[in-house]
Amino acid sequence: MTINAMRGGAKYKGTQMRDKQLSEMIEKKVTEAKQVCEADETSDECKVAWDEVEEVSQAKADLRLRLEVEKKDHLESFCLENPETEECRVYDD
Amino acid sequence: MAVCSAYTTQSLNSTCSISTPAKTHLGFHQKEVVFYRRSSKRGGSGSSSGPCVITCSAGDSQTVVIGLAADSGCGKSTFMRRLTSVFGGAAEPPKGGNPDSNTLISDMTTVICLDDYHSLDRTGRKEKGVTALDPRANDFDLMYEQVKAIKSGVAVDKPIYNHVTGLLDPPELIKPPKILVIEGLHPMFDERVRDLLDFSIYLDISNEVKFAWKIQRDMAERGHSLESIKASIEARKPDFDAYIDPQKKYADAVIEVLPTQLIPDDNEGKVLRVRLIMKEGVKHFSPVYLFDEGSTISWIPCGRKLTCSYPGIKFHYGPDTYFGNEVSILEMDGQFDRLDELIYVESHLSNISTKFYGEVTQQMLKHADFPGSNNGTGLFQTIVGLKIRDLYEQITSSKTAAPLEATKA
Repeated sequence: MTINAMRGGAKYKGTQMRDKQLSEMIEKKVTEAKQVCEADETSDECKVAWDEVEEVSQAKADLRLRLEVEKKDHLESFCLENPETEECRVYDD
Repeated sequence: MAVCSAYTTQSLNSTCSISTPAKTHLGFHQKEVVFYRRSSKRGGSGSSSGPCVITCSAGDSQTVVIGLAADSGCGKSTFMRRLTSVFGGAAEPPKGGNPDSNTLISDMTTVICLDDYHSLDRTGRKEKGVTALDPRANDFDLMYEQVKAIKSGVAVDKPIYNHVTGLLDPPELIKPPKILVIEGLHPMFDERVRDLLDFSIYLDISNEVKFAWKIQRDMAERGHSLESIKASIEARKPDFDAYIDPQKKYADAVIEVLPTQLIPDDNEGKVLRVRLIMKEGVKHFSPVYLFDEGSTISWIPCGRKLTCSYPGIKFHYGPDTYFGNEVSILEMDGQFDRLDELIYVESHLSNISTKFYGEVTQQMLKHADFPGSNNGTGLFQTIVGLKIRDLYEQITSSKTAAPLEATKA
């Protein structure tokens, strides 16, 4: 089974933006978590920081799954009604 | 209880109107809805014919509510897809609404993500120092009120928790479906919500398997490493053990996913041992069994009739107790490599609630690209989906259908 790259299903700029945003958040939040936990591994701040990492990692994975497996861009129906928004520019590359 | 849901009058013929008198003459606790025709000439395209006849059936429109406890995101999990597929149709996000909605809707089912009931958004949780796993981050009163409303046939405006921005977005309208699935971290945490569930499932992934799956999920991401993945799991573990794990004793069915015992020292998490732990005595639910209900069976289907490749397949079935409840456990260790292995296994299972021979295999094949399609996770998720369909049909047919007719004026 060949898996297309993310753009297999991604059609709209908004989806590309979300994907990029989530990737950047993962990187940022992992760094934050490491810093926070260095001070005190058992603190509430530390566990909340890693919980945020989990949340964005899962969100990224869900997006990837939707695009790669379902080959659907979830902005499809939104963009049918709002084609003029920035998010709904069809990105071609 | 009779439920006739009419959300707007726009969908009706413009010559019809609705009136809801305060009192009924029937003596039941139900709204009597009268449709009458206005005698105006605005009827337009000559529809001078016929009265507006609406039929309302009592009792068959109560929503069946299923709870699914899982730590793997919301409404997009493989389990949900398999479940909605059993009922037919694909589940999709609500059309035209918030594109970041977590809700999935198909013909028969609506899947709600319980993260939508977060009382604290990402910033709020950071300020208070609580994870999403903590009950303090969730509004159980609202969860209870809304699930109760939907169950009794009333549409609700449900909040949306946006996983991308970490904010709570404006609500979306949820209309009562035939089957409502509430999926998330805490479907069985609050006793009042628990009592609304017609069936509940807990997906129990062991630590080793969780680690292996999260590696597969995250390793390609910039920023992640084995250490960060491990650290994230460890940091969440205390809250997970305190708040999420204890729900499993309430579940009618637990799907437990463990590393295989067929390959010594396997840590790849690819071959899995999966146990379907089914509570005895649950209304409308008869546990799946192998060969002889209530006895203890060890079964290796591979042999003369069936050739399997390494590491093979091993089944176990038997009665047990689980947190003080009588249960039956069906266990599969190993993988399916070929179609005929799957159909062979299916033909030896009983009480799987299929409508035709080979239905389990057909469902598994339909989603051959889903994770777990070659092992016990896919098999048991599919079977649980069929048991839920069976439960739904039993519940809806057990209500007396006494049609009421509100006819023309």
